Amino acid sequence: MSLRSNEHQWGSVSKFLHWVIALAILGNGTFGLLMDLASSPMQKVNWLALHKSIGLTVLALVLLRILWRWGDRRPRDEPAPRWQQLAAHVVHGVLYVLILAIPLSGWWYNSVTGKPLQWFKLFNLPPLGAKSDALRHFAHGVHEYLFWLLVLVLLAHVGAALKHHVFDNDNVLRRMLPFGRLRKPLPEGDRR
Amino acid sequence: MKRLAIPLLALALPGIAAATDYIVQPASSTLGFSNTFQGESFDGHFGQWTAAISYDPANLAASKFDVEVTLASVKTGDSDRDSALPGKDFFDTAKFPTAHFATTGFRRQGDQVIAGGNLTLRGVTRPVSLDVAFKPQAGGAVLDVAGTVKRLDFGVGSGDYADTSVIGADVKIKAHLQLVAQ
Repeated sequence: MSLRSNEHQWGSVSKFLHWVIALAILGNGTFGLLMDLASSPMQKVNWLALHKSIGLTVLALVLLRILWRWGDRRPRDEPAPRWQQLAAHVVHGVLYVLILAIPLSGWWYNSVTGKPLQWFKLFNLPPLGAKSDALRHFAHGVHEYLFWLLVLVLLAHVGAALKHHVFDNDNVLRRMLPFGRLRKPLPEGDRR
Repeated sequence: MKRLAIPLLALALPGIAAATDYIVQPASSTLGFSNTFQGESFDGHFGQWTAAISYDPANLAASKFDVEVTLASVKTGDSDRDSALPGKDFFDTAKFPTAHFATTGFRRQGDQVIAGGNLTLRGVTRPVSLDVAFKPQAGGAVLDVAGTVKRLDFGVGSGDYADTSVIGADVKIKAHLQLVAQ
């Protein structure tokens, strides 16, 4: 498996970034929703600090992923009706926007609350905006509902990938799986 | 002889007489501290405190500072922090409403005057040293003092809050006093 993508399969860098970001966002999103389970104010402070550190890591990985994608080629679209290919690209575009917007909105929310932003106790980052008690509730809502929107869009993304894998028996999912082996391409004439 | 006696008496006086007593001008004076939280420094101030200042740079032995701080009057620019600080884990103002500092002696280290004294905070009394900068002015003086205390020496931020990687261990104390001679 090569680092770069080829005509049929995503390269290992793209695969790695795809799955690490997916796990980190879902894990950190769930973690974020469970913050109120903290048993003490200080535990919540520490949980939030961890949530923010993971979120900043996601942001860095997403930027890296976009940069890498710029320089790397994409595998060709798998055979499918044109509308499905278009829908897939739109969903991918929305996902990119959301995985950038969610950590950024968290950073902005943190700025609005006036709290420090520290990455794993190693260094601090500046606020993205002024402290504002009036915006606090709104900024939190933006951060949380963007995540729910992501979950919704993910249903389409994951649903489509599974549909291709299970019902169409094609390589749409396989070409992104960490150790996935491609199915032999169908002969030209058999393509739907 | 009578003419000489008065200047001689004046020369001898500093050894016996008390240092000048000063009244603090609260509107132009501040008493506060700074520390770090998650790698970011923050400043705190107390709104209510009193200070009895007797000071004479030429007669440190007769000088004295006595300061009492109402701990619940703390403000740090963050409402979460301001509501936590008077609580049981920090100042515990329900049990210990005030902090008290009284000098026990002054000394010189080169050009720097250092005030030694005892700080009582949260029921714990410990020696604390403060750097003193005293500038006489018409009718009074400006007094700046600065020092460092370890918050855990006084049990400020106990339990979970003892983690100094989140809340800094060393708290810098700073006071700026505008004084009018009594």
